[in-house]
Amino acid sequence: MNEKTKLMLVDDEPDFLEIIGKFFSRRKIAFETANGCLEALDWLARDLFDVVIMDISMPGLDGFKCMSEMKKVQPEIEIIFLTGHASLNTGITCMKHGAFDYCLKPIDFAELFEKIVLARRKISGKTP
Amino acid sequence: MAMRRILSFLKQSLSPPQPSVSPEALRNAFKRRYEHFRGLLTANNNALQAMADLEKIYYSGESYRMAAIHSKITTILVNVYKMVRNLLEMSDGKYAELQQKLEKISSDLDEIIEKHPPCHEGPFILPLTEVNLGARNLVGDKMARLGDIAPLSAILVPQGFVVTASATRHFLTSRHIDEINRKLQMLDPDDLDQFYKTCAEMQKIVTDSPLPPDLEELLHVHYRRLEQATHPGCLVALRSSALGEDSTGVSFAGLYRTALNVDGEKLCRAYKKIIASKYGPKATSYRRKRGYRHLDIEMCVGCMVMVDALVSGVTYSMDPSAEKSTAIRINAASGIARGVVDGTTATDLFLISREKPFPLVHKELRQGLSTSANQEAMTVSLTDAQLRKLAETALLLENHFGEPQDIEWSFDRQGRLFILQSRPIPPHKTQEKQEAPAPGYPREIGEPPFLVGGICASDGYACGEIFRVDSPEELRKFPQGAVLVLHHPSPEWAPLLGRASAVIAENGTEAGHLATIAREFGIPALFSLPRAMSTLENGQVITVDSGGRAIYRGSRKDLLRKQRVRKDIMAGSPVQRILTMAMQHITPLNLNDPAASHFKSSWCETLHDITRFCHEKSVSEMFNFGQEHHFDKGSAKQLIGEAALEWWVIDLADGFRKGLDEKTTTVRIEDIVSLPMLAIWKGISAFPWDGPPPISARGFGSIILQSAMRPDLDPTVPSGLTTKNYFLISENFCNLSVRLGYHYAMIETYMSDLLTESYVTFRFKGGAADLRRKAVRAKLLADILQKFDFRVELHSDALLARVKKKPRTYLEQRLQILGYLTLHARQLDMIMDQPQAVEQYREKFLADIKLMLSRNSTATFEKSGHE
Repeated sequence: MNEKTKLMLVDDEPDFLEIIGKFFSRRKIAFETANGCLEALDWLARDLFDVVIMDISMPGLDGFKCMSEMKKVQPEIEIIFLTGHASLNTGITCMKHGAFDYCLKPIDFAELFEKIVLARRKISGKTP
Repeated sequence: MAMRRILSFLKQSLSPPQPSVSPEALRNAFKRRYEHFRGLLTANNNALQAMADLEKIYYSGESYRMAAIHSKITTILVNVYKMVRNLLEMSDGKYAELQQKLEKISSDLDEIIEKHPPCHEGPFILPLTEVNLGARNLVGDKMARLGDIAPLSAILVPQGFVVTASATRHFLTSRHIDEINRKLQMLDPDDLDQFYKTCAEMQKIVTDSPLPPDLEELLHVHYRRLEQATHPGCLVALRSSALGEDSTGVSFAGLYRTALNVDGEKLCRAYKKIIASKYGPKATSYRRKRGYRHLDIEMCVGCMVMVDALVSGVTYSMDPSAEKSTAIRINAASGIARGVVDGTTATDLFLISREKPFPLVHKELRQGLSTSANQEAMTVSLTDAQLRKLAETALLLENHFGEPQDIEWSFDRQGRLFILQSRPIPPHKTQEKQEAPAPGYPREIGEPPFLVGGICASDGYACGEIFRVDSPEELRKFPQGAVLVLHHPSPEWAPLLGRASAVIAENGTEAGHLATIAREFGIPALFSLPRAMSTLENGQVITVDSGGRAIYRGSRKDLLRKQRVRKDIMAGSPVQRILTMAMQHITPLNLNDPAASHFKSSWCETLHDITRFCHEKSVSEMFNFGQEHHFDKGSAKQLIGEAALEWWVIDLADGFRKGLDEKTTTVRIEDIVSLPMLAIWKGISAFPWDGPPPISARGFGSIILQSAMRPDLDPTVPSGLTTKNYFLISENFCNLSVRLGYHYAMIETYMSDLLTESYVTFRFKGGAADLRRKAVRAKLLADILQKFDFRVELHSDALLARVKKKPRTYLEQRLQILGYLTLHARQLDMIMDQPQAVEQYREKFLADIKLMLSRNSTATFEKSGHE
């Protein structure tokens, strides 16, 4: 895994991006934020990312559709969904289509952090 | 996918084994499988944890929110999915049926959780004259009742119309609702600041949305008709009338906004504000407390011509403060009724006999006595004729609806009586209550109360620290369990009733909404207590006896003992019904016994079944891989040394020291580098084993034989492994199966740097004894493990004990304890019917464990809980 690889946070709520961004800044984890799918795909085209934390319900392309767009560009990218409200079936559907994890807000950031570590471990296992 | 291809390739190429596949490739394939195994175990723990949380929520007797349930069930589903996926990868897709099983359960749950109440459609607006009880599904209970009594000849109801639930649905589309739901899901229930902020945001979503043009025009058409019937520019009152508030004992009192003196220009804005008040702090916290989903409640709005009120009030056709009342109770005050129902105005109280000619039984003229600043200089009270008219009307309405009524009314300046609302009185809680004692009457010996008097708005005893609230800022700081002290018991403070242990106010009466909610929640409330705000200081601990109208210093156990058990506030609510149904698909365990013939994927009915099945099969897949591929029969190495019994070790990955000859058939404990195995071994070898239970070796052997011949008696694990004790190890993982006689014990652990992955699980079942004695043994083990902070589930003789998300040293100590118990619990076989022997063993075990842990070099005996 490249040392410069970053985390991407995709959510249409600026408040949430701000809070979670502070958390990662404090831990010196490199990340970028995007307010929607389009911006996220732009980031993907011009920088290195391994793990994406993304909301499901966003204006424009939703998180689920965005995942499939991202995977087209970078198949080995891992997506952790973190969403406010969605039907129960959405969870399994996302997992079936290759999400690494799926959780509901509010989440304990320490727990989220461990999920990111696990996702990164999975990626590093894939590319020996 | 790649994984599966590799495995199937391996499988094809290895059976029969082909020398062309390098040991390197095999080891890699094995490592992959091991990764899936680990992923499955982590998911297993997370799923079980969330199930335990869900059960705790369900049985706690506290109220819970739909969002919390939604979140827990999502966690369970996602983790069960991960288990199934990992098992399929491990087993080359062998249990594909599980996927359909899981999807079916997920859909069933989705249907239960998302189910909407039936939805009736009709016109957007109905004149009150066209409304009756039959229309309650369209106009809400309040307006349906008002429309129902309007035609009665002796009853006068203001002219008006109702904006129906169909109109609300036309106005608030699924886009609005989704946005609101998203905010609700994210709400942290303990953060009052955020709670108020979110409520404001949700209301803004509603008030900022434009009304659909057709609805707006229709509102004006109907308003104009009211103008024509009365006079141009007539003022109206807009009141909420909600759908879905139909449970008995649930008042929904005063939760929503009422807009008074509205003219044609402000009509639309007022309408939206009332719809929005569904998401106000009062209503939102009330629904949460009582177990109503937001979608269970739909708002309608009644619009009625304002009554030019001279005197207004509330009548209870049967006094709710007495159990078998023969009196009608009337609270009245000058002007409009709002102050009376809000509880902010001092009111005159009248008790009138229910028998003709309705003589006055009791009268308290409280208007003018209160310190309330906003009262009028001239107070108007009721005449005898008016009291009689109110009494007749109350009985008429009670008779019409067939149950006692809580009636809101106004006399206008022409002396006409208008009925504004008539609803059933929430059923009275039965309680042993002394005849209203004099204030501060010494019911108990001990220090007398330091403050007495006031009006008992809700009977009971409670103790807590005083917290005075007089502003929204203080409201947000209100601590859990404090005694709420107020100037005015206005419904604005209702969200605090879920946190307060008691309410005291300097003003207000038993007729206000806050009093109703206090009674409903079973919280003592003492209102109109003189000098409350000036005497009671923050932080002071007091005991409130609202029935005795007295405040005592400190915590008075003698009084608190008398407090009734609080009722289950969620009982019968939609959320409780939903959770009850959902649990049926989640927690019951049908697949108890892995040796039983129905231990199959096709028999998995619940999410718990699937987790149990996946876990069991994943363990045997790890064994099988060893047998099929990398290690042949001999790959299990025997542990040699001075140990009692036979122990076998299978290395999954990096469990042996580097450089150990792979072909060797025996290992010594020095060859082991698996941390958890070493910890368990420390427990096993801490004390010499006292040998088999005190029966002959021959008899003992026969038990083993018996158990091997009758695998149905013995749960778990394929028969090939019976009677051997196996360690499956890696550097940080260990699964130990111990089978001896009828016993089955399993210790499984993963010690990770990530707390998420770290856990210790212990299963124990069986023993050579009848079921009662087996249960006694399991109970003894459970007791001991609980002392060391294991989370224990015990069903008859089947014990499951877990700790998780703890640091390494903590887990190592737990493993030592389990290692010790696994070996020495066998002693118990023959003595379990002698209670004193059980106690002896309990003491011996605890003493041994203490000694063992004290020998650790760190010598810290960690214990996070309390004893």
